[in-house]
Amino acid sequence: MTTVQGSAIGFQERAGIRRTLNAIRNYSLPILIALVYIVASILVPQFLTFETIRAILLATSVTGIIAAGMTAITLSGNLFSLGVTASVVLSGVIYIWVGSASGNIYIGAIAAIFAALVVGFAQGFIVGLGLNPVVVTLAAGAIIYGATAIVTGGKVVAAQSRELGRFATFAIVGIPLPVFVLVAFTAVAWFLTERTKIGRNVHLLGFNKLTARNSGISFMGTTIWAFLIFSVGLGVAAVLQVSQTLQVQADNFPELTMNVVAAVLVGGTAVTGGDGSPVKSVIGALFIATITQIMVLVGVPQGTRYFVLGVVVVVLVVTLHLLRKAGSR
Amino acid sequence: MRSVSAWFGRYALQLVVLVIVIVSMYALYPAFRVEASIERLIPLGVIAAGLAVTMIAGEFDLSIASMAALAGALTVTLSGLGLIVAVLITVTVCTLFGMLQGWAIAKLGINSLVFTVGTLVLIRGVTWLVCGGLAISIDDIAASDIFYGRLLFLSPLSATGLVILVALGIFLSRTRWGRELYALGSSRPEAIAAGVRYPRGMVIAFGISAGCGAVGGSLTSALSGSAAPNALESMLVAGIAAALVGGISIAGGRGTMVNVFLGFAIISVLAAGLAGMGAKAFVSQLFIGVFLLLIVLAEYFIARVGEQSRRSRLRRLAEA
Repeated sequence: MTTVQGSAIGFQERAGIRRTLNAIRNYSLPILIALVYIVASILVPQFLTFETIRAILLATSVTGIIAAGMTAITLSGNLFSLGVTASVVLSGVIYIWVGSASGNIYIGAIAAIFAALVVGFAQGFIVGLGLNPVVVTLAAGAIIYGATAIVTGGKVVAAQSRELGRFATFAIVGIPLPVFVLVAFTAVAWFLTERTKIGRNVHLLGFNKLTARNSGISFMGTTIWAFLIFSVGLGVAAVLQVSQTLQVQADNFPELTMNVVAAVLVGGTAVTGGDGSPVKSVIGALFIATITQIMVLVGVPQGTRYFVLGVVVVVLVVTLHLLRKAGSR
Repeated sequence: MRSVSAWFGRYALQLVVLVIVIVSMYALYPAFRVEASIERLIPLGVIAAGLAVTMIAGEFDLSIASMAALAGALTVTLSGLGLIVAVLITVTVCTLFGMLQGWAIAKLGINSLVFTVGTLVLIRGVTWLVCGGLAISIDDIAASDIFYGRLLFLSPLSATGLVILVALGIFLSRTRWGRELYALGSSRPEAIAAGVRYPRGMVIAFGISAGCGAVGGSLTSALSGSAAPNALESMLVAGIAAALVGGISIAGGRGTMVNVFLGFAIISVLAAGLAGMGAKAFVSQLFIGVFLLLIVLAEYFIARVGEQSRRSRLRRLAEA
């Protein structure tokens, strides 16, 4: 009798420890960001200004929107898309072309999102057949990059009028539109992955592929849904990005793919799938943008910035991994 | 005789594709010289080999292109000691770093894709620091002349690349540690239960991968006499494409150095031919992407047809 009770208490204690560890894992990044903001606003004089915060939020918006969408893919157990850069360039070029030709930025934006959806659907379909997502998205990225570069002749595609930049210049109480779009898209992605049937299927598929399939969840259908969520975000982010620069070239944004992947990983979504949320990935993107902006303000050269960012990503990813391992024991 | 036909059967898909690519290059561009493509063994061939070793062990090393860039920067920085000495020191240092990375992955039990995304950025950052943020070059311009000799149809660099591929092939297929990588890649729990030491496998696989990346980057910089912080970034995609087009399985446990060589040959003949015809680099990117997708799709459907015929055979047996 006592032994049974003893083991029951042991189990409860262990469950308590597990809950604590999971809580630490879930809230470590927001707390870390809060600490970074407090320390930076004390030590870096220009940090707590409206301009700096605005720059950080603007830098977060593009990476954050794509990372929020990518989370759906990661959650479904399909790792990442490594073709982000190429697809963003494609959508950006379509936005400028259609937007200039029609003279209507909304038609341009819809065309750009539609283009992202088409290539996303194709990739989702091939991955849904059971092919490795890393390989498929890498190959698709190379194809999209090559095709875009051939069609544009590798030249800069520039907007004819400043009208096309309205999505980036439009601001409410001084905060630019991309930041609101980030919040709105994150909310939508969160709702889709956490509160709908599709989202539940995505989670289940990532958590245990065999069980999910045996309980009647279509791998093909769910994977395509995950890629479509990702593609909407990618198209929106491309429009916002190109609205800021007003020009785009096939060789642009080389570091974007890795930044998005880093944001998802630092945010704490499990690479094996089933555990995580778009909100976490956006917080990951915010963290990376904050660290980068602080280093820019302090005047750290680009090489050191890369190095510090690499150290931060490795340390955070390893810490999260160890916490997850300890918490699941 | 049977083993010869079995050998051809094993590499049939890649051999057919290679012949088609070579023939179509000669048809489109008569001045094409196929032996010139082999010069791309450094850096593409060895980087593909490094990626292949980690894939065979069931892992993935995304940091290999950054490692190659770091090796290039280190070689240029150390070139005052003599170019060959600089290359040797660089390759040793990078291999040790790769072994450390493999050890960390094994000890943490972390997904290597996740870990190497971090080290990809980190090593690129170290490269920026070594270069001081700028492209750097060797002071003694004549130093790289030793690499312009000829051994038969091979330059010293492509000969080195070939030797590395052959050595890795022998290591993987003929030694115990090499065979253990296949075991770890194809069925890890069973391999560990049977006594294969997982940490040792990871140290070996990531050591080889980093070493291959370092040889590629170091010799590229030694030949050109320069290094840049953002160099060789495209080698990650090209190397993965070469390994997978050659028939290395990304799921682990399958593929040989012959596969790597065939994949490398297909990609480099294609790139060399297109470059010879005056096409821009992005055209060959498009073709590499198409090839990669077609080959993985072809293998997927071949595997499916094989599975179906196996099932129908079993059904017939059951009915009989």
